[in-house]
Amino acid sequence: MACLIGLIAAEIIVTTTSVDVLVIGGGATGAAALYDLARRGVRALLVDQLDFTTGTSGRYHGLLHSGGRYAGHDLETAKECIVENQILRRIAPFAVEDTGGLFVATPVDPADFPARWLDGCTKAGIPAEPLTPTQARAEEPALTPHISAVYRVPDASVDSFDLIHGLVEAARSYGSDAWIYQRVIALLREGDAVLGATLEDTRTGERRTVHAACVINATGPWAGVVAGLAGLDVKILFSRGAMIAMNTRWVNTIVNRLRPADDGDILVPVGTVCVLGTTSVTTDRPDDYRIEPWEVTKILAEADVVVPGIRYGRALRAWAGVRPLYEPPEVTRGEVEGRAVKRTFSVIDHAERDGVRGLVTVTGGKLTTCRLMAEKAVDAACAQLGVKVPCSTADEVLPIPAAASRRYHRLDHRLHRLEHGEMPGALICECELVTRPQLEAAIAAYGEQPVALDDLRRDLRLGMGPCQAGFCGVRAAGILQSARKLSAEQAVQALGAFVDERFRGVRPLLWGHQLRQLYLDELIYRRILGLDGLLEGIPATPATVAAAEEVSRG
Amino acid sequence: MAESRHSADVIVIGAGLSGLLAAVHAVKRGARVRLIANGWGQQIVSPGWISVFDRADGDVLAAAQRHAVVQPDHPYALAGQEALVNGLALLQEIAAEIGEPFAPPRLDGRNLRLPTMLGGMQTPLLAPQGIANGDLTDVDGPVLIVGFDGWRDFYPEMVAGNLSRQGIAARAVSVALGSGRPGWDEWPADLARRLDDPAVRAAIVRQVQPHVKDAVKVGFPAVLGMERHAEVLREFQTALGCPVFEIPVLPPSPAGTRLSNGLRRWLLRQQARVQIGHAVVRAIVEGRRCVGVEVGALGHTNPFYADVFVLATGGLYNGGIQSDETGRLWEPIFGFPVSGPPGEGRTGWYGERLLVAEGHPIYRESGLRVNAQMQPLDVEGAPLLENVFAAGHLLAGFNPLTDGCAEGVALATAYKAACAALAG
Repeated sequence: MACLIGLIAAEIIVTTTSVDVLVIGGGATGAAALYDLARRGVRALLVDQLDFTTGTSGRYHGLLHSGGRYAGHDLETAKECIVENQILRRIAPFAVEDTGGLFVATPVDPADFPARWLDGCTKAGIPAEPLTPTQARAEEPALTPHISAVYRVPDASVDSFDLIHGLVEAARSYGSDAWIYQRVIALLREGDAVLGATLEDTRTGERRTVHAACVINATGPWAGVVAGLAGLDVKILFSRGAMIAMNTRWVNTIVNRLRPADDGDILVPVGTVCVLGTTSVTTDRPDDYRIEPWEVTKILAEADVVVPGIRYGRALRAWAGVRPLYEPPEVTRGEVEGRAVKRTFSVIDHAERDGVRGLVTVTGGKLTTCRLMAEKAVDAACAQLGVKVPCSTADEVLPIPAAASRRYHRLDHRLHRLEHGEMPGALICECELVTRPQLEAAIAAYGEQPVALDDLRRDLRLGMGPCQAGFCGVRAAGILQSARKLSAEQAVQALGAFVDERFRGVRPLLWGHQLRQLYLDELIYRRILGLDGLLEGIPATPATVAAAEEVSRG
Repeated sequence: MAESRHSADVIVIGAGLSGLLAAVHAVKRGARVRLIANGWGQQIVSPGWISVFDRADGDVLAAAQRHAVVQPDHPYALAGQEALVNGLALLQEIAAEIGEPFAPPRLDGRNLRLPTMLGGMQTPLLAPQGIANGDLTDVDGPVLIVGFDGWRDFYPEMVAGNLSRQGIAARAVSVALGSGRPGWDEWPADLARRLDDPAVRAAIVRQVQPHVKDAVKVGFPAVLGMERHAEVLREFQTALGCPVFEIPVLPPSPAGTRLSNGLRRWLLRQQARVQIGHAVVRAIVEGRRCVGVEVGALGHTNPFYADVFVLATGGLYNGGIQSDETGRLWEPIFGFPVSGPPGEGRTGWYGERLLVAEGHPIYRESGLRVNAQMQPLDVEGAPLLENVFAAGHLLAGFNPLTDGCAEGVALATAYKAACAALAG
């Protein structure tokens, strides 16, 4: 009989499912693993404790690395990035915007670095085309006139929502499945084998058991926690980084600072915004999403060096992500922290390392290398299962996910459609141009499943513009109430949770314009709606739903 | 006041409730007034009612007076009770004069209990007649809440549901809005203008009539007419046979807009100069007196001179106080010192959640410190300029979002500043 790690009362487990492989983690790596398994004919199930892309995969700046960022100090990662960059462009064109990238050195940056960097690019196979400062500024007039060297590299921006939905939908077309809001509360371990997991629905509390011949632990910063459920030790270093979305693109090309990796060295135009990143702060928690004031100051000041004036622009929203950094024990010598740790990934076959079959952990790495990470993890799982089919995920173009056709847009497309009568119905979110029928369709897509306003935000970009839901929040709550026949109390509760969620991302940025915006939002919520009074005495929404907080890009 | 050598005796900077009221008071006292403002004040994004001391349990003015004793740096304490009473009286007088009357205050001096568009409850002292009709104190029967099919800004089920939870019987109904459904981008002011049309109103009334039944009051979103509001209200009440009330909706508010428009037009009729959309960029100061202000124009500035100045440019929201990323707070026209929350940079500005009960320190702590004459003070507490008086949300010492006194402070301090200016 299976021994349950953790104290789980057997009688509340209501259903049992069996699959070949259970993938834990709905980020890019987990989704890529699910797809990889499906193509090899392995029946798999993916679970995530929240929604897809709510972890590190959603909390990044949107960069599809050319590898240039690592060319100066981490050739292995640089090589992986350029190869995978080209593969993702080919197999997931719907998720990639080919912005191109620039590496810009200014007179304050180390003068000897560009030569070293260029050598790294050559060795890694990254095409780096030298430009004159005049050429660069002709393409990107917002760049500083003080340029000492500038190169063009094949960076791009990638929409992790669309990439992950593309992977998951493709996997589903092969008969695999993915369940969200399912937290793994125990791994079933019998002797030296892991046999599956016990899941708890984070919205309803319902529990179920999944039996699997192999479990892939693709939980990024939570990899140590999940491995710990099987009594295994995986030590992850956590490095949190802050990002800020400015309310226009500022540049149309990704701009990297050509210097040794440091805080605040990248600007990524993504959709309607420009994301400034990032910092690297060692922390002790996988979900430490704090942003300290110095990080905001530092990021703005550094971005201002390459794009003068940007620090006085309107900052819409800030978020932090936690990079999972893993160094195999034999590599670690003394204290290794933050940027010193290589950004390549690790696959731990626990059968090999610990003598425990049925568990493979994959962690570290980049979103850019998610397909490769999945390939290596699935190779290890297949070896345990005796499956001999090779990986084929680089061979075929993914179908455009339905979720992307609904969500993936440029704002001007929506405006054009609105003005030509192709998007009927009232405009609910003026900033992101979301209409009532779109909102109602998104709600209907959840069927009987619980749905939070924040889920609809991720589906439609509702509330992600300058006003941060000040106007659309109450409208969406009213529409949700009538669509789902909620009580007025539940509608108020839903709005309260959304207000809290939106505030978290603007709180670090409250000065000037955005302070004025939040004053207006607070005026609406308090004085016009009386929301603060209504929320007194209403219990907060289940913590798990409220915790499905920030996902990238404002 | 001696005859001025300038085109105006008084320059008022700011067109919010305090700027407009200060200008009205000065005009009524015979002064030649020039009002210069960069934009509309907060009144047009506010619900349209007058909060004096929302949390008062009994007589509101008495409670406000008691609060001033407890918090001596509150603008109420500085302006004094008389200024509050007179400011309120002046507002009611002028509002009636311009045809946008406030309902008479309750005889017992208590606050109204007004429903919000979520079905919450707000307790201001005064409201325009249409909004005040929604007073739910001792309501003795069901309330009917009417919405418009497909309109994005009002959800009658939400209002009725939350009122019912609070023990007030309420029903909801939606009716079609005259010809066709609302458009994709329809604001409250757009609907208010549509309701100026008698044909649109007739269609609404016909649909609502069968639903009234035993309802003792009928509530609509606050879009009952823009230019012909009084007529719309009268007509609806006659046709539906019971009091009809308005529930404030998302900004900009027709009620606030009507009041602003009415006051501006009144000032123009009295030969006051009103310049809206003109930013005052700096003050012209000689010694301890301000002699004029420079107003931005295309590529240059134009000076305007006067004897006395009322500064009512608003707080952080309206731009009377500016802030930056480093935590610096400043007053951009005169460079008056601005107080702020204790702590380094922006660290002490905000609480952890947007709707924290105590409000965010930045709003209560930031602003100008003034004396009882509304003269801005230096850090030692001495008046900076003899002939400049400040009013409204520019002042520190209260939180307009959580203290339930936003309009009361605007009126009391504007009245006091205008009096002090005319005396000086």
